[in-house]
Amino acid sequence: MAQSAVTRERLFALRETIAKLEGKPAPALAAAQSEALADNGLAAKNDSGPRLPLGIPALDEAIDGGLPLDGITEARTDLLREAGAGSGFVLALAAMLQRQVEESHSAPLPILWIADMVSTMEAGVPYAVGLRDFGLKPDQFFYASPRKLEDALWLAESAVESGVFPATVLEIRGNPKPFGLTESRRLSLRAKASKRPLFLLRQAGEEEASSAYFRFLAAPAPAQARPLPDGTMLGGSIGNPVFHLTLEKSRNPAPLSFLLEWNPHDRRFFAVSQSANPRLPDERATHSGTPLSAPSNRPDRKKEMGALLAFARTS
Amino acid sequence: MRLTALDEAAETLNLRKHMGVAEARAIYPALDVIEDDPTANRRFLEAIADWCDRYTPLVALDGVDGLFLDITGCAHLFGGETPLLKDILARLFQMGIDARGAISSSPGLSWAISRFGQGGIIEHGEAEQALAPLPVAALRLEDETIGGLDKMGLKYVGDLLTAPRAPLARRFGGAVLLRLDQALGTDEEPVSPRLPVASLSVERRLIEPIGAEDDILALTGQVAVSLKPSLEARGVGGRIFELVLFRVDGKVFRISAGTAQPLREPKRIAALFAERLQAIHDDLDAGYGFEILRLNVLLHEDFVTSQGDFEHRQQKDASLAAFVDRVSARLGEDCLQTFQLRESHIPERAYTTVPAIEHLSAPKTREGHLPPARSERPIRLLRKAEPMDAFAIEIPDGAPASFHWRRMQHRVLKSEGPERLAMEWWLDGVDGKDAGDRDYFRIEDDKGRRFWIYRQGHYERDTTQSWFMHGVIA
Repeated sequence: MAQSAVTRERLFALRETIAKLEGKPAPALAAAQSEALADNGLAAKNDSGPRLPLGIPALDEAIDGGLPLDGITEARTDLLREAGAGSGFVLALAAMLQRQVEESHSAPLPILWIADMVSTMEAGVPYAVGLRDFGLKPDQFFYASPRKLEDALWLAESAVESGVFPATVLEIRGNPKPFGLTESRRLSLRAKASKRPLFLLRQAGEEEASSAYFRFLAAPAPAQARPLPDGTMLGGSIGNPVFHLTLEKSRNPAPLSFLLEWNPHDRRFFAVSQSANPRLPDERATHSGTPLSAPSNRPDRKKEMGALLAFARTS
Repeated sequence: MRLTALDEAAETLNLRKHMGVAEARAIYPALDVIEDDPTANRRFLEAIADWCDRYTPLVALDGVDGLFLDITGCAHLFGGETPLLKDILARLFQMGIDARGAISSSPGLSWAISRFGQGGIIEHGEAEQALAPLPVAALRLEDETIGGLDKMGLKYVGDLLTAPRAPLARRFGGAVLLRLDQALGTDEEPVSPRLPVASLSVERRLIEPIGAEDDILALTGQVAVSLKPSLEARGVGGRIFELVLFRVDGKVFRISAGTAQPLREPKRIAALFAERLQAIHDDLDAGYGFEILRLNVLLHEDFVTSQGDFEHRQQKDASLAAFVDRVSARLGEDCLQTFQLRESHIPERAYTTVPAIEHLSAPKTREGHLPPARSERPIRLLRKAEPMDAFAIEIPDGAPASFHWRRMQHRVLKSEGPERLAMEWWLDGVDGKDAGDRDYFRIEDDKGRRFWIYRQGHYERDTTQSWFMHGVIA
């Protein structure tokens, strides 16, 4: 009996440590709180800091009410030639935050984009005119191009710490060694302390353990046609950008995949119905069967992280 | 090869300047000859000039071997003119430099006395008396003029002083009289300092030299506190600060830091230099320590004081400025930039980048020149449009059905365009008017990636048309 009491105490201590690491109230307190909040379930969502809802109920449900505004959110792309999707998604989030600031009738606040040198060479610099078309304010856009990764991390840290930017975007290419769990934890703590979000844009990177709350895989998806005044669509035209996002890291058991359309004029996302198939016509033709549904009970076996070398046994 | 300078030991020998090296070696085989290095001499002279900054901010170079120090209003800080001159010469002597100096009311007189006379201090009325026994070369004249005067029997300045002025001017031009007047102080001669003179500066002289970064920063903070009242009295704030550190052995370090907005706050000034010191950490060699620390304000601007409001808007501006200052101090001013739109339809000319540090202080530009319709430009523009291979182009003015870019085949499924952008003839010239026309297309490939590409050249006129990738659309 005494044995089990000690074990339980240690278990509680461990739980509390974990909760502290995750930035949530300790379980003992949480239990009391959840009882108190049992009758209004909506409020329970707002217990952990400010959030940015994406405006799509199904998605907001999956990410606990919205993206955290006091932590890191990561968006990654598989390949550098898909940089447009990743950049677009992150810039759209920044535009939403800027809109929030404007709606609260305070002075406009700038966005900071910390660029990575190679990604800039491969995919280009943020283009002021295009940013305006995308729903951002070019004169409220700061662009930093540090030479080294250490400088970029210092810049990101002091930007988040200063608390002047409603959104800071840190662009990183691949999975560099100097940016590991320690550094991302450090950034996450800074963000928590100053209640400012940091968006980590990992171009051509793999999944990597980090202290980001959520990680999205951004992939391009065909845009929808432009609507005509009479309600029909203009064939062959390229309308608002659509992103194919996969929520890779979250509290959900299975990765969630969805299509979002960004409307630069209203500065908000719209869901593209899944029936408007993300696959293109020719892909559909080759795999005509219905796509497999995501496993409902548990996720697929977790893939190994990091780089895999195929020639381990050659020597 | 000729001798250009002699050291003390060589001067006692039978050697002269401008003597051939071979001749000198023939006389003294053991002669040690070092090749003259004018740039190194210049650097050395500049280092001494830097060091002389401790006496006055107005230091000017004079030829290859002289310095002018304008000590107007500085002498009393060192206990008068005599102690000042003694201090300079003694310190230079301890550093192994053989220097001669003179203090007088005009640069020309000081030049003459220190090079041809005994040096020392010439009082205001004694100019003619001191100049008279010196040779005419003491007047900084050209060799030709000196030779001419010599032929006339005018060997000493005293001869010129007594000679009638009009014939002199007729014969030798105005230069002789100008130099004479300058030496006598009847004609004003400005000394042009080699460094911009700080509008405000405070300094601290230390008995015990300091070397640690923390000490330097703490002292900078203290000095900045004493700077604040004078900034307030003038109603200004500093835009460019300079920290001058005089090392014990004579080396001088100048560290400057700019700010986005006029600044007075001692804490933020110290924080600025904390970042600067971080950035130049390895270059700042403290050696045996620094004995003088000076904080200069090189550029100041009107400081707008304003009352804080409940929204803390001012505070937000201030923290943005503080952030910009920190980043610019540490990573350089070019690291953090903002964009400004320009009125041009050529994509790469439609914006300019401005360092953030200048953007904040610049007056806000009007927001009025929005185009009537949304133009739908890419969100990322390549620094330079990249050539690519396009296939199966729809003629005459269509997009390609597929293209090859960066070793990858892309199949185009949808395209919008063309949008023809002609070059700006008022900038590019009338000749290039048609040649640079571009037809832009927004395209979407089979994976849903969207790009912005263009074709250069007309289908009807040009036999070859080239295709370029210019940007990435979200």
